[in-house]
Amino acid sequence: MTFLPLTRRAMLATTGAAALTLGAGIGFADTPPNVLIVGQIAEPKALDPAAVTAVNDFRILMNVYDGLVRYKDGTLEVEPALAKEWTISDDGMTYTFTLRDGVKFHDGSDFNADAVKFNFDRMLDESHPFHNTGPFPLAFFFSAVEKTEAVDPKTVRFTLNAPYAPFLSNLAYPTGLIVSPAAVEKHGTEFGRNPSGTGPFKFKEWRSNEAVVVDANPDYWDGAPKLEAVVFRPITDANTRTAEMLAGGIDLMVEVPPVSLSEFQGAAFKIYEQAGPHVWFLILNAKDGPMADKRVRQAANYAINKEAIVNNVLEGTAAVAAGPTPPAFAWAYNDDVKPYPYDPDKARALLKEAGAEGAELTFFVTEGGSGMLDPIAMGTAIQADLQAVGLKVKIETYEWNTFLGEVNPGLDGKADMAEMAWMTNDPDTLPFLTLRTEAWPDKGGFNSGYYSNPKVDALLDAARKSTDQAERAKLYKEMQVIVHDDAPWVFVANWKQNAVTSDKVEGFSLQPSFFLLLGKVSKT
Amino acid sequence: MAGYIIKRLLSAIPVLLGISIIVFVIMAMIPGDPATAILGSYATPENVEKLNRDLGLDQPMIQRYFIWLGNMLHGDFGRSFSLNRAVLDEVLERFNATLVLAGTAFVICSLLGVAAGVISAARQFGLADKLITFVVLLGISIPSFFLGMMMILIFAVDLRWFPVSGMWPIYGDRDFTALIRHLTLPAIALAVVAAGVIARLSRSAMLEVLRQDFIRTARAKGVHERSVIWRHALRAAMVTIIPVLGIQAGFVLSGAVYIEIVFQWPGVGRMLVDAILTRDILLVQGGVVIVAACYVMFNIVVDVAQSLLDPRIKT
Repeated sequence: MTFLPLTRRAMLATTGAAALTLGAGIGFADTPPNVLIVGQIAEPKALDPAAVTAVNDFRILMNVYDGLVRYKDGTLEVEPALAKEWTISDDGMTYTFTLRDGVKFHDGSDFNADAVKFNFDRMLDESHPFHNTGPFPLAFFFSAVEKTEAVDPKTVRFTLNAPYAPFLSNLAYPTGLIVSPAAVEKHGTEFGRNPSGTGPFKFKEWRSNEAVVVDANPDYWDGAPKLEAVVFRPITDANTRTAEMLAGGIDLMVEVPPVSLSEFQGAAFKIYEQAGPHVWFLILNAKDGPMADKRVRQAANYAINKEAIVNNVLEGTAAVAAGPTPPAFAWAYNDDVKPYPYDPDKARALLKEAGAEGAELTFFVTEGGSGMLDPIAMGTAIQADLQAVGLKVKIETYEWNTFLGEVNPGLDGKADMAEMAWMTNDPDTLPFLTLRTEAWPDKGGFNSGYYSNPKVDALLDAARKSTDQAERAKLYKEMQVIVHDDAPWVFVANWKQNAVTSDKVEGFSLQPSFFLLLGKVSKT
Repeated sequence: MAGYIIKRLLSAIPVLLGISIIVFVIMAMIPGDPATAILGSYATPENVEKLNRDLGLDQPMIQRYFIWLGNMLHGDFGRSFSLNRAVLDEVLERFNATLVLAGTAFVICSLLGVAAGVISAARQFGLADKLITFVVLLGISIPSFFLGMMMILIFAVDLRWFPVSGMWPIYGDRDFTALIRHLTLPAIALAVVAAGVIARLSRSAMLEVLRQDFIRTARAKGVHERSVIWRHALRAAMVTIIPVLGIQAGFVLSGAVYIEIVFQWPGVGRMLVDAILTRDILLVQGGVVIVAACYVMFNIVVDVAQSLLDPRIKT
């Protein structure tokens, strides 16, 4: 039979020719000079800051828009941005901002007090002609705003319906970024795909599922960026993202999986780490079951080896949490509150005292979700630690959205403990929504474990009303001491965000806000 | 023939209606709603209710189904809230990318699979047969996503012959060579398993045919062996092989989901996975209906092709 050699030879020839054409010429290692390619974790939803909720989208938005205020580099403290200065009335109800002169949106229209008013009215006033460009899921960040007035072109005044101290830091959050009214009027519901702001980079194009490209804004009020352009590429699979970074297809990668960090040791890459305003904890059911007893809740805190979890399960990408407030809120964090030490003997003693030896517990675990790190592995480690002190723990695992549907309405009658993680922008947010008596699920809050302590309630209410940061800090520090002792949660971890860049990238640093700021970055 | 085609087309209508009902009910039944998915930690009952109202999800289920169906018949598949974009635009664009990937993989696996099967059968128990059977077994046994990951590590990260992921270069021309460069690794990774299955079934189909009288007659007449195998036997075996190709086309299309995730290919499979995770109801529903319609169409084409080859099937 003679038909084979011919085919084989033809095949070899074809393959060889194909390999030559494909392999020759362009190497795939090099990204263009002075253009930064960022590996994102997902396709953005929209580039309208009022309409989105994901950190992934915020990473782009923070480079295209500015807010009235922003976080000072490396902190979670507020400093001027589009507003030069501001005054707060003594009753904490009126905020008056003086705006920066001569700032223009990327579309050429002027930034002024009317533009600010347009932004907040669009989000908050259901009768606003462009309210239909929503929905605006995080508009409740500004639910305290009664009205917004343009006093004159350079002055804007917010009147609140109650004193609300987190207002300023909410303005620094992406939901408070200022969009161009002219662009909203022009594009309507398509504004999210045709964004225009005042930021260091201006939108160029969005190729669905491939890239969002932004160009430098040479007229940026805070100094033109050094980069010519930034390309945000969505690469959802973490292994593929790692491979792209290794192959030189991207210059900057965020959310590096802990197990992949070792790949980037060496001179060709730089690794960055930054603790953020994140807490990973277990909600304990303080209403009924064994966890209703404070001693059992404290026993759980002693029994769980948090050091082992952050070092072995999370490979050092998190730090042990001490209390409900993450240390990233440096000004409001109480250094005197120390993490519960790992002390199984003490845990056993407390359980014995409470008569809860051998108690059976139901533990809700999720498969993954925003800020949840490695929830199954962590849940399993926690289960083992609690078994070691004689508790019988039954794990129930749920997909993230299903999990939220089970946990948010409250654990009553379903579980004794559940995993949870929050990332917030003000020390007020998390305890206010999850630890007050008024925040029990039936009242519309997230206190799914039904913790209640009138002293904590009073402290949080007072802290929200005070406009003096030192006064607020004192109240939050006091709150942390009480909550630490009451142990409504097991305080487990504070996540450290990480990133890797190639050695060509200069001037980059991660922020405690977890925002990605590229205005001062350069690439050689 | 025309009657047969029309009959097959009409029979597709209840199938598609059934699919629309199933996907609608499943999306309505799975726990977790879009508002919870969007709001994440901030999903208070109050916020969820307001957002559901804004998204038009507060109406009764039956009513929502008929509104959706009615709009769909007018060509309006609604708007994806997670991508803030018309569902039809998104699905067609993504489906296009999937077709390029799955189509290429299908051509590769059909050619390789049938060729390997025929060679294997022609040389039954010979060295070529044993070698092919071994490689085929290996191909069938490796999960495609693992193979994809390995190919990335070897050919993209170490050797740098091909890009790691994506369909087009981030910078530079979007020409045919650029596409082929991006397509090579994912298409091969996707084709391997299906090629193995096709090879095995082609081999047994060919063996069956080669035992028949007309082959002996052809050989006795002095027809060249190459012609006996590739013309006489293969044509007869195609009646058995084509339905296998049809089924494998379905596998390639669904297997594309994994490959699209590994290679960051902007296809419809990855889109559906993302849409399910974000509970993007309209995108899931629209995507499934459109993909199902294409699959049904493809099956009709296969059946028609088969009836052209084998007149007995026409009923």
